[in-house]
Amino acid sequence: MNCETAKEQLVLLAYGELTFDEEELLEQHLDGCADCRADRVKLERVAGLLAENEPEVPAGLLLRCRRDLSERVDADRSESRGWLSPGGLWRRWVINPPLWLRPLGAAAMLAVGFLGARLLPTDSPALARMGVPQDQPALVSRVRLVNPDDSGRVRVLYDEIRQRELTGDLDDAQIRRLLLAAAKDPADPGIRVDSINLLKQQCANDSVRKALLNALRSDSNAGVRLKALEGLATFACDPETRKVLAQVVLTDDNPGVRTQAIDLLVQNKQPEVAGVLQELLRREENNYVRSRSQKALSEMKASIGTF
Amino acid sequence: MDEEALIRAAQAGDHDAFERLVRTYDQSVLRLAMNLLRSPEDAYDIYQEAFLRVYKNLQNFRFDCSFHTWLYRIVTNLCLDHMRKRKVRRTESTVVETGAGTVDLLDSVAEERAHGDPQRALLSRELKGKIEETLGGMTARERMVFEMRHYQGMRLRAIGEVLGTTEEAAKNCLFRATQKMRSALGAFV
Repeated sequence: MNCETAKEQLVLLAYGELTFDEEELLEQHLDGCADCRADRVKLERVAGLLAENEPEVPAGLLLRCRRDLSERVDADRSESRGWLSPGGLWRRWVINPPLWLRPLGAAAMLAVGFLGARLLPTDSPALARMGVPQDQPALVSRVRLVNPDDSGRVRVLYDEIRQRELTGDLDDAQIRRLLLAAAKDPADPGIRVDSINLLKQQCANDSVRKALLNALRSDSNAGVRLKALEGLATFACDPETRKVLAQVVLTDDNPGVRTQAIDLLVQNKQPEVAGVLQELLRREENNYVRSRSQKALSEMKASIGTF
Repeated sequence: MDEEALIRAAQAGDHDAFERLVRTYDQSVLRLAMNLLRSPEDAYDIYQEAFLRVYKNLQNFRFDCSFHTWLYRIVTNLCLDHMRKRKVRRTESTVVETGAGTVDLLDSVAEERAHGDPQRALLSRELKGKIEETLGGMTARERMVFEMRHYQGMRLRAIGEVLGTTEEAAKNCLFRATQKMRSALGAFV
């Protein structure tokens, strides 16, 4: 083997791309060639320099990518269901019908409402038990079947939505269940903020704490995540909470959330906190978050970098 | 659930399966895009576009190659298009775009000066600039092969499959790219 071939193969050797025999031949050449041995060392040093200088993926970028992709996939899915699907039909013909159909639609809704009112006894004890205001008409959410018969009558099968009102203490299991559901309502961040704000008073409850952790980890709205952080403040020592806090410190795309998470995390200065903050310092771009982490590390008497 | 089962479930419309599939690969996809394009916003665009394409075309995936190869073909094609359109900036190679605006990568090094050895910081600054300059001087294919082999640890055969070329051609690209890097960084080693 000559030096030219050896130099070419040194690159492949560094990347483990040589066969056993090729490697053997190259090693034999290296044994007797100081120049190529020096070249090998140089190549290894270059690889080391490149590894040290790989650009960092900024904190929060992965999380932002995941959230936005999820939203775009959801949007694409509902769009691709097309207008022939039940959901598409509903949107196209009921929620946003063509102008010419609107008077007809209004008349049809009136007819259905009238029919429903005639069929349902207004003094139904079942309705009273459910707490439904008996004078409130139901909303038709979806017509399932329209079936005309020979006599000219039409059979319409439909689903309906009723608004209900429930009043109770936060300790009430039914209220809590509704708040937990509202805390996940993808359509309305305002409702999620309000629900989390109320639920945070019940953080001792396992399902509430899980809901707060879930909101902190994955809610797309920073306001909701901040509310969840407030609720988890009293549980900053809980191992599961700390795990999520560490994840949030390193991945959340909102500097405010990252800062609050740091504050909670450093309430309990366990050794792994220093590691999380040092890792954060390596990739953090926001000056305030950086200075907050540096301050926390100096309070813990830990170095600001890993060596 | 193994990968094939996960893909089949995602093809059948299982949203969770699709999400798990994405999470298996998305960190390395983002890192590859970030390394190639040197801009978080461009890397973000590639991520979104690549996985949306996967989502829309998953029905057409017939297991003729590994999912990894299929996904990386999409990602590398998007990156190549992006690099060609942008004609990778060579003169301002240490300047990157971030969510907070345009940032010079070298600025972060200046911050280290306060805490560490100024001479070392200066050297590191020069080194970063040199690496950027050298990467900017590579052809899109050389850079692609170099990134996939050096930072992603992919075998040359797999890189060849992704780029639709032979292992030999990928090897030549890697050799040229490494030579360029070695000559450029000669003063630092």
